[in-house]
Amino acid sequence: MPVDQELFDAVRQADRDRVAEAVRAAIDRGAPVSSLLMNSMVPAMREIGDRFAAGEVYIPEMLMAARAMQAGLDIIEPLLGTSDHEPIGRVAVGTVKGDMHDIGKNLVVMMLKGSGYEVTDLGVDCPVEKYEEAAAGGATVLCCSALLTSTMTYMEQVVGRFQKDPAIKVIVGGAPVTQRFAEEIGADGFAEHASEAARVVSACLAGE
Amino acid sequence: MSSEGDNGMERLYAERLARYTTAMRNERPDRVPIRPFVAEFTARHAGFTCQEVTHDYDKAFVAARRCAADFDWDAVVSNMVYVWTGLTQAIGMRYYGVPGIDVPPDVGFQYLEPGEGEAFMKADEYDELIANPTAFLYNVWLPRVSSEIVPPGAASSYRSNLALVKGAMAMMQYFGAFGTQNAQLRAESGTVSAIAGIFKAPLDILADKLRGYVGLSMDMCEQPDKVLEACEALMPHLYHVAKTTADPLQQVPIGYWMHRGCVPFVSPAQFDSHYWPTVRPIIEELWRHGHQTLFYAEGDWKHHLESFRELPDRSIVYHVDQADVFDVHERLGDKFCLSGGIPNFLLSHRPAGDVREFCKKVLDVVAADGGYIMDASAIMQNDTRAENLRAMTECTREHGVYSGSPSSPPPAPIVAEGSLPAHGGSTTAPGQCIEWATRAATLPTIEGDADLVEEVWNSIDSLGNVFIWQWLLSF
Ligand code: B1M
Repeated sequence: MPVDQELFDAVRQADRDRVAEAVRAAIDRGAPVSSLLMNSMVPAMREIGDRFAAGEVYIPEMLMAARAMQAGLDIIEPLLGTSDHEPIGRVAVGTVKGDMHDIGKNLVVMMLKGSGYEVTDLGVDCPVEKYEEAAAGGATVLCCSALLTSTMTYMEQVVGRFQKDPAIKVIVGGAPVTQRFAEEIGADGFAEHASEAARVVSACLAGE
Repeated sequence: MSSEGDNGMERLYAERLARYTTAMRNERPDRVPIRPFVAEFTARHAGFTCQEVTHDYDKAFVAARRCAADFDWDAVVSNMVYVWTGLTQAIGMRYYGVPGIDVPPDVGFQYLEPGEGEAFMKADEYDELIANPTAFLYNVWLPRVSSEIVPPGAASSYRSNLALVKGAMAMMQYFGAFGTQNAQLRAESGTVSAIAGIFKAPLDILADKLRGYVGLSMDMCEQPDKVLEACEALMPHLYHVAKTTADPLQQVPIGYWMHRGCVPFVSPAQFDSHYWPTVRPIIEELWRHGHQTLFYAEGDWKHHLESFRELPDRSIVYHVDQADVFDVHERLGDKFCLSGGIPNFLLSHRPAGDVREFCKKVLDVVAADGGYIMDASAIMQNDTRAENLRAMTECTREHGVYSGSPSSPPPAPIVAEGSLPAHGGSTTAPGQCIEWATRAATLPTIEGDADLVEEVWNSIDSLGNVFIWQWLLSF
């Protein structure tokens, strides 16, 4: 199915009510829900994420767009379960133990959801056990966020826990985290921005 | 009772004060001043847990003094682990994670921002805030942030009354102790207390303590005019707090903690419409009264440096966090003194050689013509390595010495009244809770000295104002 232009625009313009209306109208017309998600909402969200990374839109707009997208997902998600839709991947995102910062982590969650992944938000202050639970629940990529120099080192423990498990990838991000640090602790990937996180997850799942 | 030792310490203090203030006026002192904002690091250095320094401010003070003396720094904050749990426990403050209670004993205290649904102010309460910010804080905000204090109209309670009395007395006790602490820093190690007073931007206050960041972001889209009105209503009050807590000698700057007013937390348009117009007049007014402001620019404010250039030369000290300190130097160095810019990641996780190398570069470039103060990018918690702080200190001693005689700082600006609106949109004057006129109306005709009665009323009433605004800004 091609792009539902009205839905695409409504997400892009962060118009919550219009998104819900467009989704309902499309479903009434018999549009497959999985295609509404993947062909219209995901590309709109990706565009916003890319513009955020390029410094053209800002966190408030991201929050509004994600809220608009969620209004659509609230209608679609129950239906996805009954269709033969398979998410393109299962990902879990959490801020590591000792760290309560969640604005960046929430943007990562939004971008991953907006890219069509099934995302478990583990919240903040996550010990290794939380990531273990997520992996046991089917997540194959675990994203760790940290904003403090005192907590970023905890990522090493998460990475260490899954090092011997080739099926699970651990990727890291957050303001003080760098590519070099990610390599030093043996993480499977690093993303500087939320939208980049979606690309790194995709590369991980593709085995790159 | 002055002895050789006392005189020596006084001389050292004077030398350091001159070095620090000269640099802050963007001039060239004898050498680069060192003023590290050490927080929980002080505890570790002095052998205390985070719980000990947060619960017992005497220990926090000892730890700060120990660091100042052992590292021989020019200036320090007299207690950067500023939350004292005696005070927060007195009123049952909900928004802190307290070491030893809510977080492990060796983790620093933490401010916990409530989720969107639990914000301390609701989206439809702007008018009440605008009408009388002080009354709103007492009547609505305080009962929500405190587990003890009940709102007006609810049955008064033993615990609520106790919380108010204990909270107020604890605050007086704590503030009073800073005077002694500063004097001890001066007498024991000749160290300058680095800042005095506090300022935060109206928009940050709305996000941090009232609406929460997400709630405020939504309001900025859905009711931007109300947000602007609220910022304007807060302005005179925040100015008043800054002005009355500033250094009366106008030597050290007012601390301005900049949280989420920059891109990408706001859009450039929101910065221009809401953030900057409600900050700039305050900074200018403070400068007209001879007070510098220390812009503690958390994160990266690279999109806004041109706006900061609108401020008078030397009116601020600009602290660099995650921004590129070399770039900031190029763009602001001719107007303002800079501080910081040494990444905490280096100080916590890299060998001392890397720290030296980076500091040397900063000293060679950024500090070359004066107007630079050595410090880390962000406050230093207990993950900072002592040997790296030593490397930063030694490197500055070695490479931060200027040749030629130091330049003398220019005089403070001439005091002139500015254009800051006296009340914003609100009905109560900043600094007061119940104005004298209201009180006077309830009294019989005063036969004695009415001015004396008014004076005493105002001075005691202002304590009520200090209490609530300090909660909002400092704790
Ligand atoms: C694959 O996985 C991935 C991939 C990409 C990922 C990823 C994961 N995670 C993030 N990304 C990436 O995508 C995002 C979007 O592109 C980006 O996310 P970021 O998270 O980097 O960016 C966000 C979008 C925006 N950035 C932020 O949200 C952080 C902003 C600043 C101002 C900040 C905030 C807001 C807060 N804080 Co805190 N805070 C500061 C910050 C200073 C600053 N301006 O940077 C910083 C981080 N804090 C600091 C401190 C010290 C603290 N804070 C604390 C508390 C708080 C608040 C509660 C007040 C609030 C958090 C609110 C919240 N709900 O998150 C305390 C610690 C609490 C704790 N245990 O975590 C406390 C200790 C202060 C205290 N004593 O209360 C400093 C750290 C210093 C250091 N040595 O590391 C700090 C740099 C401020 C400073 N200059 O002093 C990318 O990094």
